[in-house]
Parts: sequence; structure tokens; C-alpha cells
Amino acid sequence: MKKGYLGIDIGSISTKGVILDENNEIIESSYIWTEGNPIDAVKRLLNQLQNKIDIPIYGIGTTGSARKLIGLMVDADVVKNEITAHAIGTTHYYKDARTILEIGGQDSKLILLKDGIITDYAMNTLCAAGTGAFLSSQAKRLGVEIEDFGTLAVTSKNPVKIAARCTVFAESDLIHKAQVGYQKEDIIAGLCRSVVLNYLNNVGKGKKILEPIVFQGGVSKNKGVVKYFNEILKTKVIVDPNSHLMGAIGIAIMAHEHQSETPKNLELTNISFETKGRECEGCSNHCEILRIYKDHQFIESWGSKCGKVS
Amino acid sequence: MGDYAVPAYFLLSHIVKNNVIKPKPITAKTIEIGNKYSPEFVCTPFKYTLGTLIEGIENGATILIQAGGGCRYGYYAELQEQIIKDLGYHVQFYNLVVAGTTNLKRIYKIMKEIDPKFSILKAIYYGTLTKQMIKYMDQMDHYIRANIGFETEKGSFETLKQQMLKEFSQVKTHIKLKKLYHKYQKKMRAIKIEKPKDTMKIGIIGELYTIMEPYSNYELEKNLASMNLEIKRYTDVYYLLFQKHKKVKKYLKNSAQYITYQMGADAADNIGRAKELCEEGYDGIIHIKSSFCTPEIGAMPVLSKICADYQVPIIFFSFDSATSEVGIKTRLEAFYDMLEMRKKK
Amino acid sequence: MDKIKIGIPRALHYYYYGALWKSFLEELGFETIISPETTNKTLEQGTEIANSEMCLSLKIYLGHVAYLQSRCDYILVPRIDNYGTYEQTCTNFLGLYDIVANLFTNKLLTYNVDEAHHQSEQNAFIKLGLTLGKGKEQSILAYQNSKQKLEKIRKQNFKKEMEKLNSSNPKLLIVSHPYNLEDPYIGKTIKKILESLNVEYINGEYLTNEKSIQQGMKLSPNLYWKYNKELIGTIEEWKHKIDGILFLSAFPCGPDSLVNELMLRKIKMPHLNLIIDEESGSAGIETRLESFIDILGQTTK
Repeated sequence: MKKGYLGIDIGSISTKGVILDENNEIIESSYIWTEGNPIDAVKRLLNQLQNKIDIPIYGIGTTGSARKLIGLMVDADVVKNEITAHAIGTTHYYKDARTILEIGGQDSKLILLKDGIITDYAMNTLCAAGTGAFLSSQAKRLGVEIEDFGTLAVTSKNPVKIAARCTVFAESDLIHKAQVGYQKEDIIAGLCRSVVLNYLNNVGKGKKILEPIVFQGGVSKNKGVVKYFNEILKTKVIVDPNSHLMGAIGIAIMAHEHQSETPKNLELTNISFETKGRECEGCSNHCEILRIYKDHQFIESWGSKCGKVS
Repeated sequence: MGDYAVPAYFLLSHIVKNNVIKPKPITAKTIEIGNKYSPEFVCTPFKYTLGTLIEGIENGATILIQAGGGCRYGYYAELQEQIIKDLGYHVQFYNLVVAGTTNLKRIYKIMKEIDPKFSILKAIYYGTLTKQMIKYMDQMDHYIRANIGFETEKGSFETLKQQMLKEFSQVKTHIKLKKLYHKYQKKMRAIKIEKPKDTMKIGIIGELYTIMEPYSNYELEKNLASMNLEIKRYTDVYYLLFQKHKKVKKYLKNSAQYITYQMGADAADNIGRAKELCEEGYDGIIHIKSSFCTPEIGAMPVLSKICADYQVPIIFFSFDSATSEVGIKTRLEAFYDMLEMRKKK
Repeated sequence: MDKIKIGIPRALHYYYYGALWKSFLEELGFETIISPETTNKTLEQGTEIANSEMCLSLKIYLGHVAYLQSRCDYILVPRIDNYGTYEQTCTNFLGLYDIVANLFTNKLLTYNVDEAHHQSEQNAFIKLGLTLGKGKEQSILAYQNSKQKLEKIRKQNFKKEMEKLNSSNPKLLIVSHPYNLEDPYIGKTIKKILESLNVEYINGEYLTNEKSIQQGMKLSPNLYWKYNKELIGTIEEWKHKIDGILFLSAFPCGPDSLVNELMLRKIKMPHLNLIIDEESGSAGIETRLESFIDILGQTTK
């Protein structure tokens, strides 16, 4: 009998799901917006996937910023951080990959590998400057659809220099450049270029970027950013057709390794899953406690610094 | 200040007649206050200590003592005094250490002002007692760090340590202190641990305040312990006050191929320690500091080079009040996974 | 045989001791090459090499070293710790030599001033001379001659700035490390704007003299950073001759973050605190300076 393994990557902006078969090949995948509600997003995601497949799922893994919460909700076999998940997903396709560039909705990462093992990594530390969310908001400001952003950027011959270390600075600089009268495509190209420079100067600081280089995460779909990575690194970065799904693929592979004896239940639509947040008044820390209920039963709580409160 | 509030309070309450107010542990509110009144890009400990001082005033303190030290610490007090004055508080502010140096005369003069009945003999007696107390505390912590990740009953070490501190704060004589220490040492060693043979070992180095103040490093050590790691950390108060001046020369000598001079604060110490950790076969190194900590920023290229030469992974954390806790956890988890993957290979 | 070429980065302490270095090395028979003035390219290169948290001035310094790396036999990177316990420097000056040594593969020359531990400047220069294969006597002579030259330049600068204090235009004292104000990337825009606004700006660093340290202690008794102490000393000494003060620092300067904050709280005359980083656009600076000068004009009328 066939068995499937589900990987879910819940990011701040988008939620990704894939189902792999016994050979770790993709049977089905789905990509939806998180819309600030990971629980609801995962319910929608599972609905979509279930409608498309009819094999039992023997392993579930969750990754991404909401991995813990969703891990509880779907009773995951493995819950892992997105750095590890991305590395495992990528090396499944590119065994000899040495560098993974990843720019997602809220954060960006750099992973260095050797023989399929992570040797070093870095994550953005300052803020969301230069990430997907930043690019979308700037696209909106310039009245351009984010889908057209990259295509427009590659038409520019003279990208404008834009200071993009900080979103606040970048925004004012962008407004200034637009007011002075620069062409829209040059500003957009400048933004893409500054995303790359910013990434290399911050996340990539002091790291040896060796080939083959794989570029992924939502922003890898932006042709402008790809163009400037190629130009500045003086090489060609690989963008897989499934580049946006790598985290989900990685965690599905790990779920395969940790598979359960019995098939999993994906029928969550009728199960109620709730979180209740409150501020603890126990001391002046005012910890934000998040309590999680499955079918109105309290199952876990997070956020207490002293550990005495649940 | 972490647990060091215990010996600090112990010392002061014995040598001056004044009512000594215990600093409350740092909380989100401390930081909020500190941030509000601090210059924007000063190093984070300034903000935290300013918050602590203001909270102290709100709890009734009328005399504030700031110890200062090297680097920028030595100048904190003067600006903090001005800020507190500008806020309209009327308090006496005393700074024990200036430019990284102090002398007994200065301290004596200040103590006499605070308490005219101040007795130097009593101060020496309780001073040495406190020194010993700190030594015992720090020795205990070394053992705890190496083992807390493996306790079979969660919280055993922490509970026992708090009991010990409580009893410590009541002692009057060296003999009693020593007895207590031995009693707790025995109890500590009796705590059941399950430690596998191939445990991963991590060294923590970095800027002194952030490394010692658990709130400001987002309970890094607790997080690591929950991952079943053995932890080694060099910086503690005993080291800083009584061992640093000798040790740093040894560190400089041992890492002569990487650095020639001291680089301010504990930068050279940390470079020496990183090399030592690499040579002793540690699986990874975590370097932590508060944002804008200049000496440690200067040490970073050197640390990267050492770790590259020895092929030991190092991860850098720069903490300030705006650091996202989720981000720290993710990076720590990934660090752990990375070390584990390397070990399996 | 060609002369040995020694590179001097035009950044940080170059703006205090550049003339001394050049004269000393040339008198001993070496060729010196000073990196050209900072450009955007310098900063770009420096940013690429530096740690992202390093201050702007240090990033610029590293950019200058990068320029020199393929153009000379040695690069001079001094290590200046202190001129006494209460005359310390910023920790970047302590670490500079080792930072450069770990980021570049070039051969470096250095000298170490640490008067708190009996390493005077003269001794340091003698040692430097010895490393370069020159005799002790020769090195002392070269040092003393060069020191005189430096003093002469300082005196000229002092006289020039003093004359400005008699100007009839609004007079603005700029409290800034010379490696920021005199650096084209950081200071040029500001100078240009001030000139266009007919402001007589006075470089505080040029006004420092042997009295400055004592004067500085009046404003901040516990201050132990030499350069900051001298700078604020000029405020105390000339406060009756100036109309306003511009504090100019590079992000995120350690000593300035505390000292300037204290000054802002203590100074009663009009002042502006400008902090420059890689992102500072000239438009923003212009607006802030203009409105500040407007206020200055009103108070001087």
C-alpha cells in the first residue's frame, strides 16, 4: 500500500504544504496566504490537499515560525526549525549544494553546507528590511503588482541607489527618489539591487559563499533580485521551480524518517482549536501567556518566564 | 544582577547602618524605564542599570551606588546621575570606580559620607566574607552548568541553589560559610543526573553584563540546558574581580598568533578562551554581547578566524531589548541541529 | 633598489598624527603613500569587510586599508591605548591593530602608546624605528623633528580658528572627532551647507590646547576619554565667544553616545546633535542644519 508524508511550513506571510511518497517525490503541494491566522490557514491547506489525494499519511512534520503551534494542532511527528528544514529539502535535490540563500516574508537566512551537512548559517538580525514583506509594501507604494515587480526590474538599465539597511530609511529614500523624478523601473531595480547588497552585507557578512548556490524562499521568484544576485556574485544562482516549497519538502522528508505506525488523521475541520492570550499580572514582567485548547480542552501554554504560570 | 544581588546586599547591609534596598530582578518594566531615558545607541547594560536605579528610587532608595568598571561602564554613573537629576529625583549618587580604577581611599571617603559610623575593620571582615561567598557561588555554578541539562528531576539544581543562597545570606563567620558550602556541595553532587557519554559541549563567551544577567540574554543558559548540552562559561564576578588581571596575560600569550594587544574590556580574554575551547574539543561556541558593545565587535573578526582554523562552529548573538525571542530560539535550535549533524558524520 | 613603501590610511588617527607619521617615516628614508580622500567607494569597500555593527568611522578606515593593500609593502596601523589613566582612547583604537591583522593579510607596522604602563609615544616611535632597522639615536631625532612639525601645524590651525572667533557672522563650534568632521564623506556636506548659510564654523579639535583637559573636567569630572575631554574643554573655554554648538558623531560611536548626551543635558546655549551613518541622505541633514541656523540667527540678533 502506498504511504504519504506531509510537510507543512507556516511562515508569517504564506503557508506551504507538500505530500511526498515513499521515494520522497512530490505527489501534491499547496501554497496559500497565512493572512495572520496560522490555524485557519492550515485548516484551509489541509482541506485543499485532502481533496487532491487519496493515500494515507504516515508522517507529519511542521516548520516555520508557527511550527510549534501547528505541530500541536496536527499532532506532528517532528517539529523542526526552518534552517534545518531548508537544508534538508535543498540537499535532497542538490546534493553538492554549498550555499543556500533564502529570503522569505519576514526573515532571511544564509546556510552553508558541505557534503549535505550544515557548516554555518546566519539569519537577519536587524529587522524586516530587504525581505518579502518589505518588497510587497514598497511595490504597493509604487503602485506596482508584486507579481510584476521582478519583470519590471530587469528592464531597467540604470538602477537607482537606494539605502535599504532599514525599512524606515528605505521608505523615505524611496519617496525622495520618486519625487526627484527617477523612472519607476529604475527605482524598482534599485530596490532589488539594494535587497541583494543588504543581504550580502548583513546576513552574508564574513561568510564564504561557494558554488553551487541555491536561492529560495518567496523572494526567489522575483527575477530582479535573481538578476542582481547573479550580477553581484558574478555567477549563476540556481532557482528551483519548487524553491518556495523547500522548507515544507525538508520537513516532510524528516517526517518520513520519523513516521508513525498508524495513519494520521487529517480531518481537522471539525476539531476546534483555539488559543487564548492573556497578560500575566503576577510580577512586573507582564509575560504574555498563550494558552492552547483542543476541542475546548486545555493542552499547553507558552510564554511564562518564571514557569510557575500556565 | 542575577543571583549576585544576594552577596551585594549581604555586604552593604552589614557595613552600613542605612536601610539597604534589595534590587528587584530585572523585568520588562525595568527595561522599559531604562530605554525611555537612555541615549539611543548606548550599549544595552546602560539602559538596564538605569532602569534598575530608577526602580530602586521608586522603592524608596535615597542613596544610589554604582560601581562602574572598565570600558564604557566606568562612565555610566556620571551620565546616569545627570539623567536621574533631570527627572527630578533628589538622591545622593556615589560612584565607586572611575576609569576602570579605584582606590581604598576613595571608597572609604564615600562610605564615611554614607554612614559616618562606617568601620573599616567591619568592612574588611565582611568584604573577605563576601569574596569567599562569591567564590563558592561561582564554583557551584560551574558544576551546575555542566550538569543541569541532565538532571532527572527538572528544577532540582535551581531549587537547591536558591536554598543555598538563602542560607548564605544569614552567615556571620567564615567557618559557617565553609560548612554550608560543603553541605550544599554534597547535596549538589547527590542530585541524580543521566549524562550520556557523547554529550555535546558548548562554551559561552562574550560581554560580561549580558553573559551574567539572565534576563538580558533571554535565559540563554536555561534554553541550552533544555537541549541537553553541557555548558562552560568563564566569566563570573569572581573572575572579573580577582582573577582577570593574571589570566588575561596568559590568554594573550596563548593566542599570540591571533592578537598582540588587549582590545578593551574582555575582548582578549574571550579570544583566548575561544582558542582554549577549540583545543579542548568543544563542539561549538556561542558568543553573546549587548548591541553596540565595541570591544566585542572588534573581537568578532578574530573569533571567526580562530573558529575557522579549528573548524569549530561559532554563533554570534547581539542582544538588546528589541531582540525577538522567537528568532533566538530558532537560531539556537538550528545551531544544535548543525552540531548534531556534524557529530553524527 | 626601490625604497620601501609604507601605506598610511587616511582615516581615524591620521587626522591627529598623519603629519607626524609621514615626516618620521620619510626622514628615516622610506616612501609613504597616503590613501586618497574617502569616496563612496571607500565606504562601500569598508562596509563589505567590516562587521556590520562597527562604527562608520571604523568602516571608512577599513576601506582605506583595502585601498592600500595592493599598493605598498607595509601598512602603518598604530595602537593607541592611552596617554595616562585618565586620558584613554576609544576601544576601537585599542583593537585596531589586531582587527586589521585579522581582516587583511598585509604586513603591518605598528607602534603602541600606553602611558599608563610606561609606554610613551617617544618610546613607541623608537621601537618602530628599530623594527625598521634604524638606530635609536636616528629614530629619536626623527621623532623629535617630526613632532615639532606637527606642533607647528597645530599652532597654525589654532591661530586660524581663533581668528574665526572674531567673525561677525553667527559662530558655531563643531564638537566632533576630526576623523569625522575632516573626512569628506562625513564632514564635507555639512561644511558646504554651513558655508552657504554664512555661518562661521569653528573646528573644536583645532582649538584644543594644553588647557583643554582641565577645562573639560569642569564639565565632566569623571570623564577619562582623552579626545572627548579635550573637545568638551573647548566648549568650556570659548563658550562666551560662540553662538551655538554642533555635536557631530558617527553612528554608533561609543564615547560620544555618553559624553554628548551629558553635554546636551548640561549646555544652555543652542545646540544640535547630528549623528551620521551610511544611510544619512544629504537632504535630511540640510533641513536640520537650516532650521537650526535659523534659530541661531534669531538668538544672535
